[in-house]
Amino acid sequence: MQRSVQHTQQEDDTLSAFIDDELSEDMARTAIKRLAANRPERKRHAEYCAIGDAMRGLPFGQADLTDRVMAALEKEPTVLAPMRRAPDRRPVMWLAAATVAALTWGLWAAAPRHEPPAQVAAAQPGNVQAYLAAHEDYAQAVDTAPDMHYTRVSLTGLGK
Amino acid sequence: MKWAWLLSIASLPASAATFLPQTEASILLQRIADAPRHVSYEGVFVTQHGDRMQSLFVANRPEGTASGSHLKALDGEKREVLCDKSGATNIVFRDGQVSTEKRLSARHFPDLLPLNAAALANWYSVRLGGMERVAGIDCQLIELAPKDVFRWGYMLCIEKLSNMPIRAVMLNGQGQPLMQSAFTSLKLGGAPDLPATSLPPVPDGTRPVTADSIEVRSLPPGYTRITAVRRHIPNHPAEVEHWVFSDGLTYISLFMEPATHPVETVRGQSKHGMTNLLTRQVGNIQATVLGDAPWPAIELLATNLEPRR
Repeated sequence: MQRSVQHTQQEDDTLSAFIDDELSEDMARTAIKRLAANRPERKRHAEYCAIGDAMRGLPFGQADLTDRVMAALEKEPTVLAPMRRAPDRRPVMWLAAATVAALTWGLWAAAPRHEPPAQVAAAQPGNVQAYLAAHEDYAQAVDTAPDMHYTRVSLTGLGK
Repeated sequence: MKWAWLLSIASLPASAATFLPQTEASILLQRIADAPRHVSYEGVFVTQHGDRMQSLFVANRPEGTASGSHLKALDGEKREVLCDKSGATNIVFRDGQVSTEKRLSARHFPDLLPLNAAALANWYSVRLGGMERVAGIDCQLIELAPKDVFRWGYMLCIEKLSNMPIRAVMLNGQGQPLMQSAFTSLKLGGAPDLPATSLPPVPDGTRPVTADSIEVRSLPPGYTRITAVRRHIPNHPAEVEHWVFSDGLTYISLFMEPATHPVETVRGQSKHGMTNLLTRQVGNIQATVLGDAPWPAIELLATNLEPRR
Protein backbone atom coordinates (compact mmCIF):
# COMPACT_ATOMS: atom_id res chain seq x y z
CA MET A 1 0.00 0.00 0.00
CA GLN A 2 2.77 2.33 0.98
CA ARG A 3 4.63 1.44 -2.16
CA SER A 4 1.54 2.32 -4.20
CA VAL A 5 1.22 5.73 -2.56
CA GLN A 6 4.91 6.38 -3.02
CA HIS A 7 4.69 5.36 -6.65
CA THR A 8 1.81 7.78 -7.19
CA GLN A 9 3.77 10.50 -5.45
CA GLN A 10 6.70 9.89 -7.77
CA GLU A 11 4.41 10.04 -10.77
CA ASP A 12 2.95 13.28 -9.47
CA ASP A 13 6.43 14.71 -9.13
CA THR A 14 7.34 13.71 -12.63
CA LEU A 15 4.12 15.17 -13.97
CA SER A 16 4.67 18.45 -12.12
CA ALA A 17 8.25 18.63 -13.31
CA PHE A 18 7.05 17.96 -16.85
CA ILE A 19 4.52 20.80 -16.66
CA ASP A 20 7.18 23.10 -15.23
CA ASP A 21 9.58 22.20 -18.06
CA GLU A 22 12.09 20.78 -15.63
CA LEU A 23 12.54 17.33 -17.16
CA SER A 24 15.38 16.36 -19.44
CA GLU A 25 14.51 15.87 -23.08
CA ASP A 26 14.45 12.09 -22.71
CA MET A 27 12.28 12.18 -19.61
CA ALA A 28 9.92 14.68 -21.21
CA ARG A 29 9.60 12.43 -24.23
CA THR A 30 8.78 9.50 -21.96
CA ALA A 31 6.22 11.63 -20.14
CA ILE A 32 4.61 12.58 -23.45
CA LYS A 33 4.40 8.92 -24.48
CA ARG A 34 2.82 8.02 -21.15
CA LEU A 35 0.32 10.85 -21.49
CA ALA A 36 -0.59 9.80 -24.99
CA ALA A 37 -1.22 6.23 -23.87
CA ASN A 38 -2.80 6.74 -20.47
CA ARG A 39 -6.18 8.39 -20.02
CA PRO A 40 -6.07 8.77 -16.19
CA GLU A 41 -2.61 10.32 -16.52
CA ARG A 42 -3.99 12.78 -19.08
CA LYS A 43 -6.81 13.67 -16.71
CA ARG A 44 -4.40 14.32 -13.87
CA HIS A 45 -2.19 16.36 -16.20
CA ALA A 46 -5.20 18.46 -17.20
CA GLU A 47 -6.07 19.02 -13.54
CA TYR A 48 -2.56 20.13 -12.73
CA CYS A 49 -2.54 22.46 -15.72
CA ALA A 50 -5.86 23.95 -14.67
CA ILE A 51 -4.54 24.52 -11.17
CA GLY A 52 -1.40 26.08 -12.60
CA ASP A 53 -3.44 28.39 -14.81
CA ALA A 54 -5.62 29.40 -11.88
CA MET A 55 -2.61 30.08 -9.69
CA ARG A 56 -1.03 32.14 -12.42
CA GLY A 57 -4.25 34.12 -12.74
CA LEU A 58 -4.68 33.08 -16.34
CA PRO A 59 -8.19 33.36 -17.69
CA PHE A 60 -8.23 30.09 -19.61
CA GLY A 61 -10.12 27.43 -17.73
CA GLN A 62 -13.41 25.69 -17.24
CA ALA A 63 -16.55 26.69 -15.41
CA ASP A 64 -16.01 24.38 -12.45
CA LEU A 65 -12.36 25.25 -12.15
CA THR A 66 -12.60 26.95 -8.78
CA ASP A 67 -14.31 23.96 -7.23
CA ARG A 68 -11.76 21.57 -8.64
CA VAL A 69 -8.86 23.73 -7.56
CA MET A 70 -10.24 24.03 -4.04
CA ALA A 71 -10.85 20.29 -3.90
CA ALA A 72 -7.32 19.63 -5.07
CA LEU A 73 -5.87 22.01 -2.52
CA GLU A 74 -7.96 20.51 0.27
CA LYS A 75 -6.30 17.19 -0.46
CA GLU A 76 -2.94 18.73 0.35
CA PRO A 77 -1.64 17.48 3.73
CA THR A 78 -1.54 19.99 6.55
CA VAL A 79 2.05 20.53 7.56
CA LEU A 80 2.28 20.56 11.35
CA ALA A 81 6.01 20.55 11.77
CA PRO A 82 9.08 21.22 9.71
CA MET A 83 9.88 18.25 7.57
CA ARG A 84 12.40 17.14 5.06
CA ARG A 85 11.80 18.63 1.62
CA ALA A 86 8.67 16.85 0.57
CA PRO A 87 8.61 15.78 -3.03
CA ASP A 88 5.15 17.29 -3.54
CA ARG A 89 5.54 20.19 -5.90
CA ARG A 90 2.11 21.81 -5.98
CA PRO A 91 3.01 24.55 -3.46
CA VAL A 92 5.34 25.82 -6.16
CA MET A 93 2.19 26.94 -7.93
CA TRP A 94 1.29 29.16 -4.98
CA LEU A 95 4.75 30.59 -5.27
CA ALA A 96 4.05 31.19 -8.94
CA ALA A 97 0.89 33.08 -8.00
CA ALA A 98 2.82 35.21 -5.56
CA THR A 99 5.43 35.83 -8.21
CA VAL A 100 2.80 36.92 -10.72
CA ALA A 101 1.34 39.29 -8.17
CA ALA A 102 4.79 40.66 -7.43
CA LEU A 103 5.47 41.04 -11.12
CA THR A 104 2.23 42.93 -11.58
CA TRP A 105 3.11 45.24 -8.72
CA GLY A 106 6.65 45.61 -10.03
CA LEU A 107 5.37 46.52 -13.47
CA TRP A 108 3.03 49.13 -12.05
CA ALA A 109 5.60 50.63 -9.73
CA ALA A 110 8.59 50.54 -12.01
CA ALA A 111 6.95 51.17 -15.34
CA PRO A 112 8.72 53.76 -17.44
CA ARG A 113 6.77 57.01 -17.52
CA HIS A 114 6.86 58.25 -21.04
CA GLU A 115 8.08 61.72 -21.66
CA PRO A 116 7.11 63.70 -24.71
CA PRO A 117 8.80 62.15 -27.74
CA ALA A 118 12.38 63.28 -28.01
CA GLN A 119 14.18 63.84 -31.25
CA VAL A 120 14.52 60.33 -32.57
CA ALA A 121 18.10 60.65 -33.78
CA ALA A 122 19.25 62.16 -30.51
CA ALA A 123 17.65 59.40 -28.47
CA GLN A 124 19.29 56.49 -30.26
CA PRO A 125 21.72 54.76 -27.94
CA GLY A 126 25.17 54.25 -29.39
CA ASN A 127 25.96 51.10 -31.30
CA VAL A 128 22.60 49.52 -30.56
CA GLN A 129 22.44 48.36 -34.17
CA ALA A 130 25.24 45.89 -33.41
CA TYR A 131 23.15 44.49 -30.57
CA LEU A 132 20.19 44.04 -32.90
CA ALA A 133 22.43 42.27 -35.41
CA ALA A 134 23.85 39.98 -32.70
CA HIS A 135 20.34 39.09 -31.56
CA GLU A 136 19.59 37.89 -35.10
CA ASP A 137 21.34 34.64 -34.11
CA TYR A 138 17.87 33.76 -32.81
CA ALA A 139 15.94 34.84 -35.91
CA GLN A 140 13.86 32.40 -37.93
CA ALA A 141 15.94 33.18 -41.01
CA VAL A 142 19.03 35.24 -41.87
CA ASP A 143 17.23 38.50 -41.49
CA THR A 144 18.77 41.92 -41.13
CA ALA A 145 18.26 44.05 -38.06
CA PRO A 146 14.99 46.02 -38.17
CA ASP A 147 14.70 49.80 -38.39
CA MET A 148 13.91 51.16 -34.95
CA HIS A 149 12.37 54.34 -33.62
CA TYR A 150 13.77 55.61 -30.33
CA THR A 151 12.26 57.65 -27.52
CA ARG A 152 13.73 58.86 -24.25
CA VAL A 153 11.86 57.52 -21.24
CA SER A 154 12.42 57.83 -17.52
CA LEU A 155 12.31 55.05 -14.98
CA THR A 156 10.60 55.71 -11.71
CA GLY A 157 10.49 53.48 -8.70
CA LEU A 158 14.04 52.30 -9.13
CA GLY A 159 17.13 53.64 -7.41
CA LYS A 160 18.56 55.06 -10.59
CA MET B 1 6.57 2.09 -39.46
CA LYS B 2 8.74 5.05 -38.67
CA TRP B 3 5.93 7.32 -39.79
CA ALA B 4 3.27 5.54 -37.80
CA TRP B 5 3.60 7.82 -34.79
CA LEU B 6 3.07 10.82 -36.99
CA LEU B 7 -0.30 9.51 -38.06
CA SER B 8 -1.54 9.50 -34.49
CA ILE B 9 -2.19 13.23 -34.63
CA ALA B 10 -5.35 12.29 -36.45
CA SER B 11 -6.66 10.85 -33.19
CA LEU B 12 -6.50 14.22 -31.47
CA PRO B 13 -9.89 15.83 -30.96
CA ALA B 14 -10.53 18.46 -33.57
CA SER B 15 -12.64 21.51 -32.90
CA ALA B 16 -12.58 24.69 -34.90
CA ALA B 17 -14.01 26.76 -32.08
CA THR B 18 -12.44 25.69 -28.82
CA PHE B 19 -8.94 25.48 -27.45
CA LEU B 20 -7.53 22.02 -26.93
CA PRO B 21 -7.26 20.70 -23.39
CA GLN B 22 -3.74 21.37 -22.21
CA THR B 23 -2.72 17.73 -22.30
CA GLU B 24 -3.66 17.32 -25.94
CA ALA B 25 -2.05 20.68 -26.67
CA SER B 26 1.20 19.48 -25.07
CA ILE B 27 1.23 16.31 -27.12
CA LEU B 28 0.50 18.15 -30.35
CA LEU B 29 3.15 20.81 -29.71
CA GLN B 30 5.76 18.16 -28.99
CA ARG B 31 4.95 16.40 -32.26
CA ILE B 32 5.26 19.65 -34.18
CA ALA B 33 8.57 20.34 -32.45
CA ASP B 34 9.92 16.88 -33.24
CA ALA B 35 8.99 16.91 -36.93
CA PRO B 36 11.81 19.09 -38.34
CA ARG B 37 14.28 17.07 -36.31
CA HIS B 38 13.13 13.75 -37.73
CA VAL B 39 12.15 14.56 -41.30
CA SER B 40 14.44 15.23 -44.26
CA TYR B 41 13.34 18.09 -46.45
CA GLU B 42 14.51 20.73 -48.86
CA GLY B 43 12.71 23.69 -50.28
CA VAL B 44 12.43 27.43 -50.59
CA PHE B 45 10.61 29.62 -48.13
CA VAL B 46 9.81 33.30 -47.99
CA THR B 47 10.05 35.39 -44.86
CA GLN B 48 8.07 38.61 -44.69
CA HIS B 49 8.70 41.14 -41.96
CA GLY B 50 6.95 44.48 -42.35
CA ASP B 51 7.68 45.70 -45.84
CA ARG B 52 10.71 43.45 -46.25
CA MET B 53 10.68 40.08 -47.92
CA GLN B 54 13.42 37.51 -48.26
CA SER B 55 13.61 34.17 -50.05
CA LEU B 56 15.73 31.39 -48.61
CA PHE B 57 16.71 27.90 -49.62
CA VAL B 58 16.69 25.37 -46.81
CA ALA B 59 17.76 21.74 -46.64
CA ASN B 60 17.65 19.44 -43.66
CA ARG B 61 19.14 16.01 -43.19
CA PRO B 62 18.43 14.89 -39.66
CA GLU B 63 20.20 11.54 -39.61
CA GLY B 64 23.51 9.99 -40.51
CA THR B 65 27.05 11.20 -40.31
CA ALA B 66 26.34 14.11 -42.66
CA SER B 67 23.35 15.31 -40.68
CA GLY B 68 22.66 18.98 -40.41
CA SER B 69 20.85 21.81 -42.08
CA HIS B 70 21.71 24.49 -44.59
CA LEU B 71 20.05 27.87 -44.97
CA LYS B 72 20.91 30.15 -47.89
CA ALA B 73 19.56 33.62 -48.65
CA LEU B 74 18.47 33.78 -52.27
CA ASP B 75 18.20 37.55 -52.54
CA GLY B 76 20.07 40.50 -51.15
CA GLU B 77 23.45 39.96 -49.56
CA LYS B 78 24.73 36.44 -50.00
CA ARG B 79 24.49 34.81 -46.59
CA GLU B 80 24.29 31.24 -45.43
CA VAL B 81 23.90 29.34 -42.20
CA LEU B 82 25.35 25.87 -41.79
CA CYS B 83 24.24 23.80 -38.83
CA ASP B 84 25.76 20.49 -37.86
CA LYS B 85 26.55 18.57 -34.72
CA SER B 86 29.26 21.06 -33.78
CA GLY B 87 26.87 24.02 -33.87
CA ALA B 88 25.84 26.70 -36.31
CA THR B 89 27.95 28.99 -38.46
CA ASN B 90 27.01 32.23 -40.18
CA ILE B 91 28.74 32.69 -43.53
CA VAL B 92 28.68 36.12 -45.17
CA PHE B 93 30.04 36.79 -48.67
CA ARG B 94 30.90 40.48 -48.98
CA ASP B 95 33.24 42.33 -51.40
CA GLY B 96 34.80 39.09 -52.56
CA GLN B 97 35.58 38.06 -49.01
CA VAL B 98 34.02 35.28 -47.00
CA SER B 99 33.60 35.81 -43.29
CA THR B 100 32.41 33.22 -40.84
CA GLU B 101 31.28 33.37 -37.27
CA LYS B 102 29.62 31.06 -34.84
CA ARG B 103 25.88 31.55 -34.49
CA LEU B 104 24.51 31.13 -30.99
CA SER B 105 21.35 29.34 -32.11
CA ALA B 106 21.18 26.45 -34.59
CA ARG B 107 17.41 26.82 -34.99
CA HIS B 108 15.63 28.38 -37.94
CA PHE B 109 12.35 28.01 -39.82
CA PRO B 110 10.67 25.51 -39.87
CA ASP B 111 12.37 24.29 -36.67
CA LEU B 112 10.61 26.77 -34.42
CA LEU B 113 9.48 24.94 -31.31
CA PRO B 114 11.92 24.00 -28.53
CA LEU B 115 13.06 20.48 -27.62
CA ASN B 116 10.64 20.42 -24.68
CA ALA B 117 7.74 21.97 -26.55
CA ALA B 118 5.07 20.42 -24.34
CA ALA B 119 5.78 23.03 -21.66
CA LEU B 120 4.70 25.75 -24.09
CA ALA B 121 1.13 24.71 -23.32
CA ASN B 122 1.58 26.46 -19.96
CA TRP B 123 1.82 29.78 -21.76
CA TYR B 124 -0.06 29.30 -25.01
CA SER B 125 -3.56 28.00 -25.64
CA VAL B 126 -3.71 25.81 -28.72
CA ARG B 127 -6.61 25.66 -31.14
CA LEU B 128 -7.06 23.67 -34.32
CA GLY B 129 -8.20 25.66 -37.32
CA GLY B 130 -9.23 24.71 -40.80
CA MET B 131 -7.26 23.27 -43.66
CA GLU B 132 -5.14 25.43 -45.95
CA ARG B 133 -2.87 24.89 -48.88
CA VAL B 134 0.72 26.11 -48.81
CA ALA B 135 3.29 25.36 -51.51
CA GLY B 136 0.82 22.94 -53.05
CA ILE B 137 0.60 20.98 -49.80
CA ASP B 138 -2.50 20.61 -47.65
CA CYS B 139 -1.88 21.70 -44.10
CA GLN B 140 -3.77 22.09 -40.82
CA LEU B 141 -3.94 25.49 -39.14
CA ILE B 142 -2.86 25.51 -35.49
CA GLU B 143 -3.24 28.65 -33.43
CA LEU B 144 -0.99 29.31 -30.45
CA ALA B 145 -2.71 32.08 -28.50
CA PRO B 146 -0.63 33.58 -25.68
CA LYS B 147 -2.22 33.32 -22.23
CA ASP B 148 -0.67 36.62 -21.11
CA VAL B 149 0.88 39.79 -22.50
CA PHE B 150 4.49 38.61 -22.42
CA ARG B 151 4.62 36.82 -25.78
CA TRP B 152 3.32 37.08 -29.32
CA GLY B 153 0.85 34.61 -30.76
CA TYR B 154 1.47 32.24 -33.64
CA MET B 155 -0.52 30.66 -36.39
CA LEU B 156 1.14 27.56 -37.79
CA CYS B 157 0.08 25.49 -40.73
CA ILE B 158 1.39 21.95 -40.35
CA GLU B 159 1.65 19.24 -42.95
CA LYS B 160 -0.70 16.53 -41.72
CA LEU B 161 1.50 13.48 -42.11
CA SER B 162 4.79 14.81 -40.87
CA ASN B 163 3.50 17.57 -38.54
CA MET B 164 6.07 19.88 -40.15
CA PRO B 165 5.22 23.57 -39.96
CA ILE B 166 5.17 24.80 -43.53
CA ARG B 167 3.88 28.24 -42.68
CA ALA B 168 4.32 30.27 -39.47
CA VAL B 169 2.80 33.66 -38.76
CA MET B 170 3.69 35.71 -35.70
CA LEU B 171 0.66 37.70 -34.52
CA ASN B 172 0.27 40.68 -32.22
CA GLY B 173 -2.43 41.01 -29.57
CA GLN B 174 -4.93 42.20 -32.16
CA GLY B 175 -4.28 39.18 -34.36
CA GLN B 176 -2.37 41.24 -36.93
CA PRO B 177 0.59 39.55 -38.59
CA LEU B 178 4.00 40.82 -37.53
CA MET B 179 6.14 38.37 -39.44
CA GLN B 180 5.56 35.27 -41.45
CA SER B 181 7.55 32.52 -43.08
CA ALA B 182 6.05 30.12 -45.60
CA PHE B 183 7.40 27.54 -47.98
CA THR B 184 6.87 28.24 -51.67
CA SER B 185 8.25 24.83 -52.63
CA LEU B 186 8.98 21.87 -50.44
CA LYS B 187 10.12 18.29 -50.92
CA LEU B 188 9.70 16.09 -47.87
CA GLY B 189 11.80 12.96 -47.43
CA GLY B 190 14.80 11.82 -49.42
CA ALA B 191 18.36 12.68 -48.56
CA PRO B 192 19.06 16.26 -49.55
CA ASP B 193 22.65 17.19 -50.27
CA LEU B 194 24.28 19.52 -47.84
CA PRO B 195 27.32 21.56 -48.87
CA ALA B 196 30.61 19.99 -47.90
CA THR B 197 31.93 21.80 -44.87
CA SER B 198 35.25 22.79 -46.37
CA LEU B 199 35.34 25.89 -44.24
CA PRO B 200 38.28 26.25 -41.92
CA PRO B 201 37.40 25.70 -38.29
CA VAL B 202 35.43 28.67 -37.07
CA PRO B 203 36.67 30.06 -33.77
CA ASP B 204 33.96 30.06 -31.19
CA GLY B 205 34.24 33.78 -30.47
CA THR B 206 32.38 33.44 -27.22
CA ARG B 207 33.38 32.68 -23.65
CA PRO B 208 31.03 31.51 -20.94
CA VAL B 209 30.11 34.00 -18.27
CA THR B 210 31.70 32.87 -15.04
CA ALA B 211 30.20 35.42 -12.66
CA ASP B 212 27.02 37.37 -13.24
CA SER B 213 27.62 41.10 -13.16
CA ILE B 214 24.02 42.05 -12.54
CA GLU B 215 21.01 40.43 -10.97
CA VAL B 216 17.64 39.85 -12.61
CA ARG B 217 15.06 40.15 -9.85
CA SER B 218 12.24 38.65 -11.87
CA LEU B 219 11.50 37.45 -15.35
CA PRO B 220 8.30 37.30 -17.37
CA PRO B 221 6.49 34.04 -16.50
CA GLY B 222 7.83 31.01 -18.34
CA TYR B 223 11.10 32.63 -19.39
CA THR B 224 14.44 31.18 -18.35
CA ARG B 225 17.99 32.15 -19.15
CA ILE B 226 19.26 29.88 -21.91
CA THR B 227 22.55 31.55 -22.80
CA ALA B 228 25.14 33.68 -21.02
CA VAL B 229 28.31 34.41 -22.96
CA ARG B 230 30.91 37.10 -23.46
CA ARG B 231 31.40 37.90 -27.11
CA HIS B 232 32.87 40.45 -29.48
CA ILE B 233 30.41 42.32 -31.66
CA PRO B 234 31.12 44.95 -34.32
CA ASN B 235 31.75 48.55 -33.21
CA HIS B 236 32.33 47.51 -29.62
CA PRO B 237 36.04 47.48 -28.79
CA ALA B 238 35.64 45.33 -25.68
CA GLU B 239 33.73 42.12 -25.17
CA VAL B 240 30.08 42.53 -24.26
CA GLU B 241 28.10 40.17 -22.11
CA HIS B 242 25.15 38.60 -23.92
CA TRP B 243 22.43 36.80 -22.02
CA VAL B 244 19.41 35.27 -23.73
CA PHE B 245 16.08 34.50 -22.10
CA SER B 246 13.37 32.43 -23.72
CA ASP B 247 10.03 30.76 -23.15
CA GLY B 248 10.88 28.37 -25.97
CA LEU B 249 9.37 30.47 -28.74
CA THR B 250 10.31 34.04 -27.87
CA TYR B 251 13.90 35.17 -27.40
CA ILE B 252 14.98 38.23 -25.44
CA SER B 253 18.60 39.36 -25.36
CA LEU B 254 20.30 41.32 -22.60
CA PHE B 255 23.56 43.01 -23.61
CA MET B 256 25.84 44.49 -20.96
CA GLU B 257 28.98 46.55 -21.17
CA PRO B 258 30.68 49.06 -18.89
CA ALA B 259 28.98 52.46 -18.97
CA THR B 260 31.68 54.90 -19.97
CA HIS B 261 29.37 57.88 -19.41
CA PRO B 262 25.88 58.38 -17.94
CA VAL B 263 23.41 56.34 -19.97
CA GLU B 264 20.07 57.79 -20.97
CA THR B 265 17.09 55.48 -20.65
CA VAL B 266 15.87 54.97 -24.21
CA ARG B 267 13.04 52.89 -25.58
CA GLY B 268 13.20 51.52 -29.10
CA GLN B 269 10.45 50.01 -31.19
CA SER B 270 10.43 48.63 -34.71
CA LYS B 271 7.96 50.02 -37.22
CA HIS B 272 5.26 47.44 -36.60
CA GLY B 273 6.04 46.91 -32.93
CA MET B 274 7.42 43.39 -33.27
CA THR B 275 10.87 44.23 -31.92
CA ASN B 276 11.19 46.20 -28.69
CA LEU B 277 14.22 47.51 -26.86
CA LEU B 278 15.15 49.36 -23.69
CA THR B 279 18.59 50.71 -22.83
CA ARG B 280 19.35 51.89 -19.31
CA GLN B 281 22.10 52.19 -16.76
CA VAL B 282 22.35 49.57 -14.03
CA GLY B 283 25.08 50.55 -11.57
CA ASN B 284 28.11 51.14 -13.73
CA ILE B 285 26.80 48.98 -16.54
CA GLN B 286 24.93 49.91 -19.70
CA ALA B 287 22.21 47.30 -20.12
CA THR B 288 20.19 46.85 -23.30
CA VAL B 289 17.23 44.49 -23.37
CA LEU B 290 15.76 43.68 -26.77
CA GLY B 291 13.84 41.04 -28.62
CA ASP B 292 10.97 40.12 -30.88
CA ALA B 293 8.68 40.27 -27.87
CA PRO B 294 5.84 42.51 -26.70
CA TRP B 295 6.81 45.64 -24.82
CA PRO B 296 5.59 44.35 -21.40
CA ALA B 297 8.12 41.50 -21.55
CA ILE B 298 11.01 43.83 -22.41
CA GLU B 299 9.86 46.37 -19.84
CA LEU B 300 9.49 43.82 -17.07
CA LEU B 301 12.93 42.37 -17.63
CA ALA B 302 14.64 45.75 -18.05
CA THR B 303 13.08 47.27 -14.96
CA ASN B 304 14.05 44.32 -12.81
CA LEU B 305 17.79 44.54 -13.31
CA GLU B 306 19.95 45.62 -10.43
CA PRO B 307 23.67 45.66 -9.68
CA ARG B 308 24.92 42.50 -8.04
CA ARG B 309 26.07 43.24 -4.49
